[in-house]
Amino acid sequence: MHKLPVKVGGLELSSPGMLASGILDENGYTMKRILDEGAGAVVTKSIGMEERNGYMPPVVFEGKNWLLNAMGLPNPGIDHFEDEIVIAKQSGKPVIGSIFGSSVDDFLVLGQKMESFGVSAVELNLSCPHVRGYGSEVGSDPVLVKNIVKELKGTLSIPVWSKLSPNVTSILDIARSASDSDALVLINTLRGMAINIYNRMPVLTNVYGGVSGSSIKPVGLRLVYEVRKEMDIDIIGVGGIDNHEDALEYIMAGANAFQIGTALMHHGRKIFNEINVGIGEFMAHNGVSDLSKLVGRAVQ
Amino acid sequence: MMDRIIIEEAHRETPTVVSLYFTWNLDVKPGQFVMVWIPGLGEVPMSLSMTGHKKCITVKAYGESTRKLCELKKGDFLYLRGPYGKPFSNVKGKKLLMGGGSGMASLRSMIDDQSTGLVAAKTAEEILFEKEFKEKQFITATEDGSKGIKGIITDAMQKIDLSSFDMIYVCGPERMLKAVFDRLKDMNVRAEFSLERSMKCGIGLCDSCSINGFQVCLDGPTFSLDELKYMDEFGRTKLLASGRRVMI
Repeated sequence: MHKLPVKVGGLELSSPGMLASGILDENGYTMKRILDEGAGAVVTKSIGMEERNGYMPPVVFEGKNWLLNAMGLPNPGIDHFEDEIVIAKQSGKPVIGSIFGSSVDDFLVLGQKMESFGVSAVELNLSCPHVRGYGSEVGSDPVLVKNIVKELKGTLSIPVWSKLSPNVTSILDIARSASDSDALVLINTLRGMAINIYNRMPVLTNVYGGVSGSSIKPVGLRLVYEVRKEMDIDIIGVGGIDNHEDALEYIMAGANAFQIGTALMHHGRKIFNEINVGIGEFMAHNGVSDLSKLVGRAVQ
Repeated sequence: MMDRIIIEEAHRETPTVVSLYFTWNLDVKPGQFVMVWIPGLGEVPMSLSMTGHKKCITVKAYGESTRKLCELKKGDFLYLRGPYGKPFSNVKGKKLLMGGGSGMASLRSMIDDQSTGLVAAKTAEEILFEKEFKEKQFITATEDGSKGIKGIITDAMQKIDLSSFDMIYVCGPERMLKAVFDRLKDMNVRAEFSLERSMKCGIGLCDSCSINGFQVCLDGPTFSLDELKYMDEFGRTKLLASGRRVMI
């Protein structure tokens, strides 16, 4: 496996590409396989206080350069998740526990349990666009975000990352309220929908879902750029990364590392290693010895 | 991307199983599956029971969505996406097709003069596609003894020379697959199994159908005997809709 070590959000990773939360990360064996095949870290499916089945399918709908999903935060519940972390950690690489809740207390309990299971960091899901009472409904309230981050930073000894929503008027307001985090993860999916014109119905059972894939890359880049321009904080870029050029764009917009999700659908697990190789070649051809030298280089 | 296809024929196979025939201008291979949307009632993975120019899905009424599919008539529409998954290997020579219950659906498109059917069901009326096999190349087992051997599929396996086949294809509930696997694993035979797991996205992203890090929708649904030897979750555990792992 090609190595490209980076430091980000209080962790040292063997390579900057991580598996994004929500994709192939509910099951320990699946996460271990992705780590073994080149990901620098994995972020787990978002885990809550109670077991949830998620929505009835259709939960995904595929467009040309985008994917719409409303899984509905399915998860086994925090008390059933320790085994999956233990299995994934057999890879020897960092596992980051994604958590979602509706209150400071929820996040605190979930964070403490994740830490006791041995995760390297927690990622706060402040941005799921399709479940009432969670995700972006929590993450669009700056005061609540500030309190959640502050409480977790004061209690946990592992890093705390905050994954923010693009579905807000001002990303900077929310980014600033989460500024005690060890890293900001930008962005979650864009809220969207699809309609079948023949039966005149929304395709997703939940009507609304989150849009991911190549089509959202310009939005993700813009939000990373806006935050990097104003804030000195580690940023993990995510949204539409399909190859090493996309990843480098995110880095030059200000991301210290990046995450990949939807691209696994077309490229499979090998995408992590391919991107590492591509970035390594780009650095060699351009006389760049340290990837961190490229972070935010395009910011004007 | 989802296609709307008109049903050309609906044929009742058994009291609870219906075959829906349609033309779909896509290349589908035996063992692959489609996701079928039943608007308002859900979306289910279904293997194709015919994969030539004319295609077919064979549906057993289990729940609300599959009951609705079984009520569809000629002229009604199907909403499909796919095909997905890894097909069965295409092997020339003598084939044994082993199906449990409606598991025969995904094997049907491989029935030819050189294939033998070994079909197990609870009762005689649940036996599928018998007439499509050559007369002396069909063995059945029923749990109630109403047809063929009284017992389960592994009882019927004892009646034939398994090593005489160039390939054995197996499809049915995982407990049945495991029982067949245990019989075959130390024999010098080639076999492929089609697995059924709780599936949501069908495109290798959601992790609902995973087994030992493999996605049944993408890496499967067909797995070889040798691949299954390394999967200790096979026949032992399954994932609930929440992703919680439980014993089968």
